[in-house]
Amino acid sequence: MTHLVVTGVSIRRGARMALQDVSATFSSGRFTAVIGPNGAGKSTLLAVLAGLLAPDAGAVRLDGAPLAQLARRELARVRAYLPQSARVDWPISVERVVALGLTPLLPTFGELVPGGQERIERALESCDLLQLRDREATTLSGGELARAMLARAIVADPRLLIVDEPTAGLDPRHAIDACQRLKSRSREGCTVVAAMHDLNLAAQYADDFAVLRAGRLLMHAPAAEVLREEVLSGLYDVAVRVRREAAETSVHFSA
Amino acid sequence: MAGDGLWAAMHSGSGGKTDEGHGLPRARWVHRAYALGLALLCAQPACARAEVPLRVMSINVCADQLVLALLPPQRITSVSWVARDDADSYLARAAARVPANHGTAEEVLRQHPDLVIAGTYTTTATRVLLRSVHYPLLEVAPAESFEDIRAVTRRIGAAVGATEAAESLIARMDAQLAWLAAHPPGRRFRVAVWNAGGASPGRGTLYDAVLTAAGAVNVVTEAGYRSFDTEELMRSAPDLLVQGASGFSKPGRRDDVVRHPLVLAYWGERSVTIPESLYTCGTPFSAEAALRLRRALEERSAVARRPLPYVGSVQ
Amino acid sequence: MRGWGVHAVLLAATALLAAVSLFVGTVWLSPHEVLAALSAPHPDLAALIFMDIHLPRTVLGLLVGAILGLSGAVLQGLLRNPLAEPGLLGISEAASLGSVIAVYYGFASTTTLAGPVFGLVGALGAASISLLLSRSGSTLSLILAGVATSSIATAGVNLALNLAPNPYAAYEISTWLMGSLADRSWTHVQLAAPFILVGGILLLLCGRALDALSLGEAQAESLGINLRRTRLLALAGTALGVGGATSVAGAIGFVGLVAPHLVRARVGNRPRRVLVPAALAGAAIVTAADIATRLIRVRPEISLGVFISLVGAPFFLWIVLRIRRQTT
Repeated sequence: MTHLVVTGVSIRRGARMALQDVSATFSSGRFTAVIGPNGAGKSTLLAVLAGLLAPDAGAVRLDGAPLAQLARRELARVRAYLPQSARVDWPISVERVVALGLTPLLPTFGELVPGGQERIERALESCDLLQLRDREATTLSGGELARAMLARAIVADPRLLIVDEPTAGLDPRHAIDACQRLKSRSREGCTVVAAMHDLNLAAQYADDFAVLRAGRLLMHAPAAEVLREEVLSGLYDVAVRVRREAAETSVHFSA
Repeated sequence: MAGDGLWAAMHSGSGGKTDEGHGLPRARWVHRAYALGLALLCAQPACARAEVPLRVMSINVCADQLVLALLPPQRITSVSWVARDDADSYLARAAARVPANHGTAEEVLRQHPDLVIAGTYTTTATRVLLRSVHYPLLEVAPAESFEDIRAVTRRIGAAVGATEAAESLIARMDAQLAWLAAHPPGRRFRVAVWNAGGASPGRGTLYDAVLTAAGAVNVVTEAGYRSFDTEELMRSAPDLLVQGASGFSKPGRRDDVVRHPLVLAYWGERSVTIPESLYTCGTPFSAEAALRLRRALEERSAVARRPLPYVGSVQ
Repeated sequence: MRGWGVHAVLLAATALLAAVSLFVGTVWLSPHEVLAALSAPHPDLAALIFMDIHLPRTVLGLLVGAILGLSGAVLQGLLRNPLAEPGLLGISEAASLGSVIAVYYGFASTTTLAGPVFGLVGALGAASISLLLSRSGSTLSLILAGVATSSIATAGVNLALNLAPNPYAAYEISTWLMGSLADRSWTHVQLAAPFILVGGILLLLCGRALDALSLGEAQAESLGINLRRTRLLALAGTALGVGGATSVAGAIGFVGLVAPHLVRARVGNRPRRVLVPAALAGAAIVTAADIATRLIRVRPEISLGVFISLVGAPFFLWIVLRIRRQTT
C-alpha cells in the first residue's frame, strides 16, 4: 500500500500564501480529483505532491519517507508527473517520447533498460498508440498527444501518478478516455491525483475529492460528501444544482 | 625654439631623433623664411595666401613629416595626432611640440591656416568640404618610390615656400642612396619582409625600393602588397627576415603570428629589424631606412650565408 | 539502425576533408611527396610544412569545429530553441573580449597562456552572468540574459579597441574577429585542446538531460533530471570549449547554429542523438571552409569566419523560413 501523506504544508508566494497548512493522505488504489476555482492552488499542491516544489513549512512523506530526502532519481522511479498542457519540443517519434518515461530507470551509462521495450509496447497498447508509434509527436492532435503523454507517464509503472488537468482542451470523447485510463491505473493499485475542472467527469471517475480554495484544503472526502449543492456553490460562488440518477451524478452551474 | 633642432638634425646628416641642433643652417633659414613671409604680408596682404602660405596645417601623417621637417614650429598650426605616435611617425618628438588635429573641418575653421595639406586617401569629408569652398588645399598622394619622394618633397616645399630646404632634404637622401649604390654589399641576400600584419610588400612598393637600395633581394616578386604566410615563407626560404620594429613594445596580435615556432626555429637568428616609422611614409628619411638595413644585413651576414638546414634538393 | 549510418557517413566525410586539408595550402603537397619526406632522415621542406603547418591547422580545425557544433547542439537542446548557439548566450563574444584584452594590454606577451586564459575567463564570466540573471529558472530569461551579456561583451570589444594603445589594434582586431586558422602552430593546439576536450566531455554529459528536456522543464525534473546541474554543465562546457577555441581561432559564428540542424532530422530529432553527429558536422564544416579559403586564390586569404558566415547566413534565413512555414 502506498501512502502519500501531507502534513501542514504551506507555500508562500511573495506576500500571498499559495498553500496554507494543507494536510491530507492519498492512498493507493484511489483516484483523487483536486478541485477548486482558478488560483486556488491546485497546480501548486500537485507540484508539492510530486516533490518538485519544496514546501516552506510542513512535510510530504511517501510511505513514511520525507520526499525532500529522497534522491531525485529514486523518487522519479516511483512517481510520474504530467504538467498542464504538456508538449514535446522536437519532432520525436511517439515511441521515443514514451521511452523517455524510462529515463529514471536507465543505468548510469547506456541507453537500455532491461525489459524496456516490453514496457514501451505495453504502454503504447494501453493508450491505444500502436498505430501512431512512428508519428512525430509535434504532429499529433490534442487527444493523441494527451494519450502519448499518459503513456509516457505510466511506462515506468509508477506507484504514484500526479496529473495536472488531464482533460483540459480535450473533446468529450478524449476526456472520458483519459479519465478511464487514470481510473484503471488506480484500480491496478496506483495512487492517482489529478487536478480537474470538469466536475461531471470527476464525479463519474474520481473516488475522492480534495477541495481547495485560496490555498486552503476545505475538504478531502469521498465524492458523495463533496458533490453537494451547498459545498459547490460556496466553493465556486455560483448557483449549483446537483442531480443524482442511479449511479450517475451530474452537476449544473448557473449564473 | 626647441623644435628647430630636428631640421638641424637632418641637415647635419646625423639622422635619428636627436634634439641637439647645429645652430647655423637653422638660424639662417628661419630668418630667411621670416623675412620673406613678413615682407609679403606687409607689402601685399591680399596676395600673401596665394604666394607663400604663412601658417600650414597638415592632416596626414606622411605630409606631417615633411611639414615638420621643412617649417619652424611657429609656422605650423597643427599636424595630425598620429604624428605624435613614434610607431608611425619618424618626427614624433617634433610633432609633440606643435598642436595636434584630428583632420576635421571644424579644426580647419578654428585654426584658420593659410594652407591645408592632406593625403589623397584620408580625411575625405574634410577634403571635399575644403575643395567646395576653394580653401587653399594641397592633396598629396603617398610616395611609393624614391622618385615619388623627390616629387612630393618638392611639391610640398614649393607650396609652403621652403624650396631650398626641400632641395637640401632631397640632396641628403640622394647622397645616401648614391653611397649605397657605390658600395654594393658582398652578397645580395634574399630577404622577406615578415611583419605578419598579413601583407608583405612586393614590386612597386616603397618598401621594395628600400630593400633594393639596401642591397637585398626581395623574395616577394609580385606587384603590390600581398599576404605571405608561414608556408610560403618556408618555401621561399629567404636568407634573412626583415621585421618592422614598431618602435616600442605596444603589444598586438601580430606578435603571436610572428612567433610561429617554425619561424623562430629557422629565422630566430636570421632576423633584422628596422623601425617602421622610417618607411611607413615615403619621405626623404626612407634612405635612412635603407642605410640602417644595409648595416643590419652586414651584421647578420655570417648567419645569412649558412644554408637553411631544411633546404635540400627542394630549393 | 539509421543513426549509425549517419555517424558513419559523417565520420567518413570528416576524415576525408581532414585528409584533403593536410595537403592543401599555399604550398600544395602530394601524398607521395609527404611519404618520401617523412621517411627521410632529416626534415625537408615538405615534411616541415606537413608536420608543423598543415597538421596543426587541420587538428585545430577539427577541434574548433567539433566543439562549436557540439555546444550549439547542447544549447539548442537546453534552451529548446533551434536558434540557440554559443553566440546567443554571449559566450563567444565574451571570449573574444577576454582575448582582446589579453593581447592589447600586454598580458599575452608575458605568457602565452594569457590569451586562452583570458578568453576562458570572459566565456565563463558570460556564462555565469547568464546563469545568475536567469536564476528564476525559465529558459526565456536565460536567453534574454544571454542577449544582454552578448551586447555588453560586444560593446566591451569596441571599447577595448577604442582605448587600445596599439595603433594597429583596430585593423588587427577586426581581422582576428573574422576568425582564421592560418599560420597556427602546435603551440595553439596545445593551448586550446585541453580546454576543448574538457568542455566537450562536460557537454556530452548533458545528453540524457537534454532528451528529458524535450518534454519541458517540469517533466524533465519529474524524470529525475537536475536542471541546475544540467545548466551548469552546459554553460561551463560551452565556456571552456568555445572559450578555448575562440582564443586561438578567433570568432567563428554560425557553425554552432548550423551543424545541429544539418543532422537533427536524420537522427530522429532526439537531442542526445544530435550531439555527436553535430560535433562531426561542425568539424566537417570548419575543415571544409578552411580548405575553401585556401583554394579560393584571393589575396589576402578570405577569413574563415567570413567565409562561414557568407555561407551560414543564407542557411540561417532558410531555417527561419522553414520554422515559419511549420508554425503557420
